[in-house]
Amino acid sequence: MADTISKVMTAREAVSRYVHDGDHLVIGNYTVGTCAELVFEVARQQKKGLTLYSQSGIFDVEVLVGAGCVDKLMSTYVYRAGGKEGGSSVERAINAGTLVMEDYTNFQYNARLTAGMHGFSFMQVLEGPIVTDLYKKRSFMGEDKYKMITCPYTGKQILTVPAANPDVCIVHVQRSDKFGNAQYWGALGSVAAAALASKRIIVSCEEIVDHEIIRSSPHHTIIPSFRVDAVVEIPWGAHPTEVLGYYNLDRTAYGLFFISDMTADGLKNWMDEWVYGCPDRRSYLDHYVSLLGAHALDVIRAEPYYSAPANYGSAYSSCWDNENKCRTMGITREELEKIMQERGLLHG
Amino acid sequence: MANKYTLDELLIITASREIHDGDRVILGVGLPTTAGAMAKALHAPNAILMMESGIIDFTPVVPPNHIADANSCRGFSYATDLFSMFTMTYRGFVDVCFLGVAQIDRFGNINTTVIGDYLKPKTRLPGAGGAPDFMSYAKNTVLTMRGGEFVEKLDYFTSPGYLEGGDSRDASGLFPKGSGPKMLLTTKGVFHFDEHTKELCLAKLHPGVTTDMVRKDVPWNLKIADPLAQTEPPSDVEIDFVRGFAPTESVGRKLMYQLGVENAFKKAAEKGKG
Repeated sequence: MADTISKVMTAREAVSRYVHDGDHLVIGNYTVGTCAELVFEVARQQKKGLTLYSQSGIFDVEVLVGAGCVDKLMSTYVYRAGGKEGGSSVERAINAGTLVMEDYTNFQYNARLTAGMHGFSFMQVLEGPIVTDLYKKRSFMGEDKYKMITCPYTGKQILTVPAANPDVCIVHVQRSDKFGNAQYWGALGSVAAAALASKRIIVSCEEIVDHEIIRSSPHHTIIPSFRVDAVVEIPWGAHPTEVLGYYNLDRTAYGLFFISDMTADGLKNWMDEWVYGCPDRRSYLDHYVSLLGAHALDVIRAEPYYSAPANYGSAYSSCWDNENKCRTMGITREELEKIMQERGLLHG
Repeated sequence: MANKYTLDELLIITASREIHDGDRVILGVGLPTTAGAMAKALHAPNAILMMESGIIDFTPVVPPNHIADANSCRGFSYATDLFSMFTMTYRGFVDVCFLGVAQIDRFGNINTTVIGDYLKPKTRLPGAGGAPDFMSYAKNTVLTMRGGEFVEKLDYFTSPGYLEGGDSRDASGLFPKGSGPKMLLTTKGVFHFDEHTKELCLAKLHPGVTTDMVRKDVPWNLKIADPLAQTEPPSDVEIDFVRGFAPTESVGRKLMYQLGVENAFKKAAEKGKG
């Protein structure tokens, strides 16, 4: 049955309702179109003790670790601002003993979520990395980071990773209806797996659209409404990262973050200004425009490049033609019922 | 006289020449994507460029910010997911991949995870990303190193090269026969791997570089090809392409952001905030 209840709410409500201290929280986006405002809101609400999953921990992970929300990090890639001389909040937190991290490869991390998404307890992964320190050096996952099994069909030794089912996924998409049918396109990454593996899902989107738009383009829907708990409309919700079809990465804003993130004090000042200093995305954008001008946003707005519409049409939408005859049998309903009566098919 | 070039530009151009027409190529961010764009534009128009985020058969119009940057091209032929991108590689459909290196050992094994102790890192590097799986299953891997180091023993073994050398990679039974790194490109030269021992071997020197300058970076007695060749200098067309397509790649990320932020504030002051 179609979902008929609107789940539209603010980022503040959604995070307060569905993200809890101690949760396993997965950032659904992979490098692109980061759910920046939802990440900021988790930081503002000072959620504690999170186990954070991120396919590629860049800007988003830096902010949440910098905010002190994260105890454990599950990732494949972390950010480093400024090369060798630079730094990152992940590195600083590991060295301060406030963060532990488990390293996987991109495929293995994705495979854990894919197993979780499908309800399996593990997933086969590529065996090559057995020889590396990814396999040998284990952090908080310990014995359960990987296990080997024997393929029952070929006898081959197979490397596996356990399924992951995070408590909550935060994810930004291009558009959704108010029920949570979320449409995303571009670099698909592991976005669908991250969301669908999770127990609760918070979707933020550039715009809420009519349900009819979703129905006419279901190939863009990556999360169905019945899995979604909250829908938050946040224009520029991924800024300073980019959203395909809406805006490009803002190199000025990203540069400000990059330069700040090289030191702990720099990041703290940046967070005070852009995260804690702005109660929501509207005030964040006002602050941005007051510093850099509206022009700075205009120059990164996407020029349209529309996907060709896929024709979901069919020949007719009723079994009865213009003469009220069944298209297949060539008779009217009255004629059909008469025949059914004659042949003894009707009862009661 | 030919145009002058930066070492980053030379590296990009040398990498680009490793892409042949019709190759299916996995590109990492930065140098490789610019190399890929150049190959498509100048000598390999039918190469199929792919990024691990699932963007397949794209032609970048500006340098991608990262490996999920669909804003850098106008459309692409096949949108798949990361999971399928790697199983496609596992099944042997990827000809060549480009990977960056922080530490490399004698047999082309790679560290991109950490300098120092894993649990108390001196420098926490980005990590594995897609590298271990690509380096396991791509038919060929081209390694690039800017600012990395040659070491006797990796601080952390992230991605498999030729393991203990000789036939140990093939003998492990874990990898496609004959796979493994094909070459290493640095800002000083081009290295191949010895056919039998699988040891790194200096094959070409970039213009103006001597063997001594290379040897001082390498903590073992480096093999040197005989005869030792010189890297073909970049042509004017190649230099012009890189600088026109990716001016930011010529200067590096830090300077790019510093100049960008400075000039954005300058522009805001000039234009007013409206």
